[in-house]
Amino acid sequence: MVRSGRQPPSRSRDCMKILLVEDNEQVSQFVRKGLQESGHTVDHAGNGRDGLFLASSETYDAIVLDRMLPGGIDGLGIIEALRKTGNATPILILSALAEVDDRIRGLRAGGDDYLTKPFAFGELAARLDALLRRSQGTETQTVLSVGDLRMDLLGRKVTRSGNPVALQPREFKLLEYLMRHAEQVVTRTMLIENVWDYHFDPQTNVIDVHVSRLRQKIDGGFDRPLLHTVRGIGYRLGANE
Amino acid sequence: MNKFLPSTSIRLALGYAGLFIVSSLILVGFLWWRTADYLDREINAVIVADTRAIADRMRDFGLSGAIDTIDERISRAADRHTVYLLTDPRLSPIAGNLDAWPADVSRSAGWYRVDLVHDNKLYATRFLNVQLPGDFHLLVGRDVQDRAVVRALILQGLVWAGLIAVVLAVLGGALVRRSVLRRVEAINRTARAIVQGDLSQRLPARNSTDEFDQLVQTINAMLGQIQLLIEGIRNTSNAVAHDLRTPLTELRSRLEGMLRGATLPEAATDDLHEAVADIDRLIGIFNALLRLAELDSGIRRAGFRRVELADLVDEVADVYGPSAEEKGIALNVDVDDRASVTGDPFLLAQAVGNLVDNAVKYTQSRGTISLALTRWGDRHVAVTVTDTGPGIPEGERARAVERFYRGDASRRTPGVGLGLSVVEAVARLHGGALELADNHPGLIASLIVPKGEDRQEPGDVRAGESVAARIEK
Repeated sequence: MVRSGRQPPSRSRDCMKILLVEDNEQVSQFVRKGLQESGHTVDHAGNGRDGLFLASSETYDAIVLDRMLPGGIDGLGIIEALRKTGNATPILILSALAEVDDRIRGLRAGGDDYLTKPFAFGELAARLDALLRRSQGTETQTVLSVGDLRMDLLGRKVTRSGNPVALQPREFKLLEYLMRHAEQVVTRTMLIENVWDYHFDPQTNVIDVHVSRLRQKIDGGFDRPLLHTVRGIGYRLGANE
Repeated sequence: MNKFLPSTSIRLALGYAGLFIVSSLILVGFLWWRTADYLDREINAVIVADTRAIADRMRDFGLSGAIDTIDERISRAADRHTVYLLTDPRLSPIAGNLDAWPADVSRSAGWYRVDLVHDNKLYATRFLNVQLPGDFHLLVGRDVQDRAVVRALILQGLVWAGLIAVVLAVLGGALVRRSVLRRVEAINRTARAIVQGDLSQRLPARNSTDEFDQLVQTINAMLGQIQLLIEGIRNTSNAVAHDLRTPLTELRSRLEGMLRGATLPEAATDDLHEAVADIDRLIGIFNALLRLAELDSGIRRAGFRRVELADLVDEVADVYGPSAEEKGIALNVDVDDRASVTGDPFLLAQAVGNLVDNAVKYTQSRGTISLALTRWGDRHVAVTVTDTGPGIPEGERARAVERFYRGDASRRTPGVGLGLSVVEAVARLHGGALELADNHPGLIASLIVPKGEDRQEPGDVRAGESVAARIEK
């Protein structure tokens, strides 16, 4: 599908145009402020009708959409209406409905990601970032590289500065996900959802242990670490400090 | 469900057959008795009539009249069915077709039954002994052998009738049973669908006034009530979910906004981080409670599909492997069975994950955790997590799955005491159970669920029957 009027990728990191459809005043302010501080332009609609109007008349890089909305049309209704007209703008659903069923229903309606309230801003920002990058498409690449770290997807080999790094299958998958989202913040829940097939909610810090093992394998013995911990949010793989 | 075990319908059919047979036997017995009685009375009447005729002749024409009558009757009767004997006071024969006074008949008047031998054959004969004027004795007898044959024939007929009655009783019983079973089965089918979460189902009613229909109508009314209540609960919990999440979301975003905004003294920053962590914990409890409510309602059964437990177990082991290793615990996985079940993959993964999470939490360094997938009887499979931690004392095991229950051993570890409750609720949703046992030392926790091979259809899980009755070890 072709998105009309998309900004060239070079602009994408710095200034995005984002539509926020959310009826709660406090949450809207918080999200809006956070996104603006990150350098994005934010339009806000406080009900479903205005949200649908803005979404279909303006061009946005992404839409953050509350599921339950006043104004005659709810979040799922907006998504369906947009998708029907061929509008493929990435949509992040915000919802108070936490169960897997609700999540599946939201994604099936055409949403691209689903975030349950209450949420940390870092989680929202990380997911939004991943959505914006997704459209740039790293799917077809056969070699991924970040700094001097290289991953050969066909040969299933990883090297750092030319030295082979031996990884377990799961570590390989974890690193692949991190490399596809290089320079982005990736949260623990994003890892659980994307690296393992049976998503569930581990009660302890099991994901941190997986990441720290991976870190030992790729960063061990190197002065410049590639895998960084972002306090309170998650991880970032990148050559930049 | 074994149809050959004594069930209500079988008891009903047997009762019907028994009643039918007993009443048939009473009827046949009564017929037999009346027929035999009638035959006896008929013979008696003939003998009495004969005797009276001879006595009348004697009175009118003297001894010679009696002798003539006897002779005439004997000559008229070609067979030996009728026996006459007229004797003088000393019992010497004067007339008749009997050579001598039978030894078994005394002088006194009355009825006798004597077996006479004639031509080497035994004849059962019934005699009437009367005293005629002048102390003459008259003996009139009738052979009842033929009657015995008739009686035997009748008895045979009655036995056949009785056998036919038994066959009819069995057939009738089977019919009764089938019609009862059909209705009970219809109720069963619907009830099973309801147990699986389809609360819109109703039992088929015939709008008649028979007892079954009244039962069906009462049950349907009850189902309507239950549906209303469940929907009420669901609406309430959704409303609560939304209404509580909103202020929590606001509170969290307010605190996070403060953290990201102006520069605060370090102590305040730490406090704010703590407060945000508190809210996250609160949200965790809240999510677990909502999930438990949803599990209890059975609504999640609608999304059941085929799940390969072996893959799921491997996956969970993969998630927790590094954590166990870091703590110095050996995590062994033993999957000897590729068992598929019908269920919700996310919930099952969460349940197994909770068990392994507990095991990792409570097992000390150099301990062992084994994660095994095994058969459990013919119809179930079990995911068993065995650890070498402190275990749960026997007296506490039943309470361990209670909501918010925390045993002594868990007081110092983080958590809120909902983990095992969730596992138990997931097991119950899948028609299984959670079993806790002692590993001396340590805990053996088994998540037992019915196998799914023979049931292709999604959602076709026989849940809701008594789990204890269905889980055979």
